[in-house]
Amino acid sequence: MVKVSKEVMQKAATLLSDFLVCPLSKQPLRVCEESNSLISDAIAVSFPIKNGIPCLVPRDGKILEEEDEDASKPDNDANLYAGNEDDKGRSS
Amino acid sequence: MIKRTLFPFFGKTNFSLPFSTTSKLNIFDRELKRNQRDRAAWLMPQNDPLLHTVADNLLDRLQDCKKIFPSALCLGGSLQAITRSLRGRDSIEKLIVMDASYDMVQRCKNDYHESINNNMETMFLVGDEEFLPIKESSVDLVISCLGLHWTNDLPGAMIQSMLALKPDGLFLAAILGGETLRELRIACTVAQMEREGGISPRVSPLAQVRDAGNLLTRAGFNLPGVDVDEYTVKYGSALELIEHLRAMGETNALSQMNLMLKRDTALATAAIYDSMFASEDGTVPATFQVIYMTGWKEHPSQQKAKRRGSATVSFKDIQTQFGNQTL
Repeated sequence: MVKVSKEVMQKAATLLSDFLVCPLSKQPLRVCEESNSLISDAIAVSFPIKNGIPCLVPRDGKILEEEDEDASKPDNDANLYAGNEDDKGRSS
Repeated sequence: MIKRTLFPFFGKTNFSLPFSTTSKLNIFDRELKRNQRDRAAWLMPQNDPLLHTVADNLLDRLQDCKKIFPSALCLGGSLQAITRSLRGRDSIEKLIVMDASYDMVQRCKNDYHESINNNMETMFLVGDEEFLPIKESSVDLVISCLGLHWTNDLPGAMIQSMLALKPDGLFLAAILGGETLRELRIACTVAQMEREGGISPRVSPLAQVRDAGNLLTRAGFNLPGVDVDEYTVKYGSALELIEHLRAMGETNALSQMNLMLKRDTALATAAIYDSMFASEDGTVPATFQVIYMTGWKEHPSQQKAKRRGSATVSFKDIQTQFGNQTL
């Protein structure tokens, strides 16, 4: 699990507000600090931020099935790999 | 059998297809390309002469512009060479570095943190040129050095770059042209005919020079400029050429490629390459044709052709004035 420093988050935030949009819908993204990801609300997909680098390749995105539940859960590497746990509300 | 019928189809690049912006035709396996670039991030030498020459040549075009570019987006291909060359130039304040391969971006990031003079604010991002995650009208400059020839939808990728640019923004791209690796193409074909009795595409289809201008105008760029450079790189043997391609992440990524390459076909290719193209000093040459494209996003300050019929001087008068000197 990668702890992201505040500075990195800040930098990601300026990058986000000035330049980034969702690659598929071209709609704005929002940062989810708990899950360390960028979320496109328009199509309900989350894109991970790995080591301070946002990964916005469509294939890296994960479809959020129940957004509220997902956003409230802290995300880490462990549950990304646990593909069998369907109760996480994620699908790839 | 299927491969053989596909081959002539691949020979014609799909860039001229009328509706390729919406077509689902996938020539290249983007995921495979991404993996190859992950590998290349580890294999790539610090100073690849070919990539550096192309990057410098491309960036020299920036010196010709009086305009400065506060924010720039740098897309795939030889990222490291571009970021390093850009660092020495002052005109750019904010740089966004984007590639489809995470390892490549991470390597650039490490390189950036190691360097001493970080006068530009640099941000890193993993993204796909075909799905550009950049806000409309947000950057002043888009640079793509040797990356766009791997996109399935080149016009679409260029239109997206155009949209990301601010008005009067500059698009600079270098792609590999159709003459690239013609020696390897010939050697592969001959070897496959000889050993397997048929051919399958081993070298990917590339844009021709005449397509480049069309692509720029079709994407909606103003004042398009295209020029071509050919580089000949000499290698000790054909196998070294393949090693180099691998280190650049430029190996075959056709989605319909034949996954089996027989050992003796590969060796036969190397032998044919050597016997057909080797020069007197024992080295084998490989051609890299690079197409440089420049285009500007529309802006009222740019020069335009005048309306038809608005001329006030007759061509006849011009001829009487200057005509006799030239003839």
